[in-house]
Amino acid sequence: MHRRFYTVTRDLHLYLGLFISPFVLVFSVTVFFFVHAIAPKFGAETTQTRAATAVSLPPDLSKLSGRPLIDALKPTLLSINVPGEIGFIRHVVSDDTLVIPVSVPGRATTVTIRIAQREATIATRETGLADALMTLHRSPGEHSPALSMNWFPMRAWRWLSDTTAYLTLFITVSGVYLWYALRAERRIGYVLLGTGTFLFFGLAYVVAR
Amino acid sequence: MSSPAESQPPSPATLRESARLLAVCERWNRKLHFYSGLFLIVFLWLFAFTGLLLNHPTWTFHESWRNRHETKFQLPIVPPAAGLTSDLEQARDLMRQMSIDGEILWTTTRSDGAPFEFQVRTPRHFYFIKADLAQGRADIRHAAVNAWGIAKILHTFTGNLASDPRNRRDWPLTAVWAYSMDFVAAGLIFMVLSSIYLWLKQPRKLLPGALCLALGSLLCGLFCFGLRWM
Repeated sequence: MHRRFYTVTRDLHLYLGLFISPFVLVFSVTVFFFVHAIAPKFGAETTQTRAATAVSLPPDLSKLSGRPLIDALKPTLLSINVPGEIGFIRHVVSDDTLVIPVSVPGRATTVTIRIAQREATIATRETGLADALMTLHRSPGEHSPALSMNWFPMRAWRWLSDTTAYLTLFITVSGVYLWYALRAERRIGYVLLGTGTFLFFGLAYVVAR
Repeated sequence: MSSPAESQPPSPATLRESARLLAVCERWNRKLHFYSGLFLIVFLWLFAFTGLLLNHPTWTFHESWRNRHETKFQLPIVPPAAGLTSDLEQARDLMRQMSIDGEILWTTTRSDGAPFEFQVRTPRHFYFIKADLAQGRADIRHAAVNAWGIAKILHTFTGNLASDPRNRRDWPLTAVWAYSMDFVAAGLIFMVLSSIYLWLKQPRKLLPGALCLALGSLLCGLFCFGLRWM
């Protein structure tokens, strides 16, 4: 029974670890970008602008705000071929325009709609791989939960990043079990576990006191 | 044309030496895989668990900002010396006078005649400071968050805002924490690579392992590269 449990745990540790390893690499590599405020560019950042006319707008546009406004504008954005996660929408009253930021990992689009004329200007900026990875690391994030995750692929990404976190917790716990089963490595394991724990709580205490 | 020495098969001694070296590499790769995991485990728990919390702001049990403890007070200050010209130097001088320590966060642009405003943050404490240099007085709003708040802030406490070059790391302890994040990330990358090496050395597990790795790579690649082409 014990032997079987050990074998199954070891196999799950390996296979689930291999499954999440690309996600772990994405989260780990982007840590360096966040910590050092760098976003390496592997190619030139390009911007393209195009226009659209006869843009169909929701009839009760002026009465909407927040998530209902985002939901109402989705068909409009789809009709002008701008998929992506819709950000905070600004209504510039003086120009009677809507400014809609739409993001896809690696691409930022700003759609400016002149409401009276039903015309839109669409500026698309390719921000590159590093920016895409950083966007994914940050998503969905803790801000504006009512507005965010309004695009299905980003909701799917949240499931995957949650899965990565849950599996990381499983892999750490199963790893401790697998180590503990190796009697010969227990002493040095205890030393490393103790040192890491002491270092973590020491650092956290000094920084957060 | 190859020389006679190059065309000769390696001697048994060379083969034995190579095999011995490979065995040592394998043994140490395995040892270092779990040594680094054990050393980093509490850091990994923090980042995995707070990653979940940050992904789910609607979970109410970890609410920290609404449950903060807030106080307001005033302190007398002496205007910074004339030699301290930059905002950072002046803010540091005022913080020294008020015995406040932490990472400075610039949220407003300084204008003539207006109070000198800035924030000071640690994972637990938030100070919102309005210093009236002419009146010699600082209004301070202080908020302290609970343990959930501390844990979540530790996840993101780098001192840098990529979108705002004015906000750069300026507190030595932020640097210590930020470099420990680097260390954990480097450790994780090592663990991923060492696990792939460990897997490749198990012929019976090559196929199921390759399927798991391929599925993960496909899904991850779809989000990193594929969404842009939709």
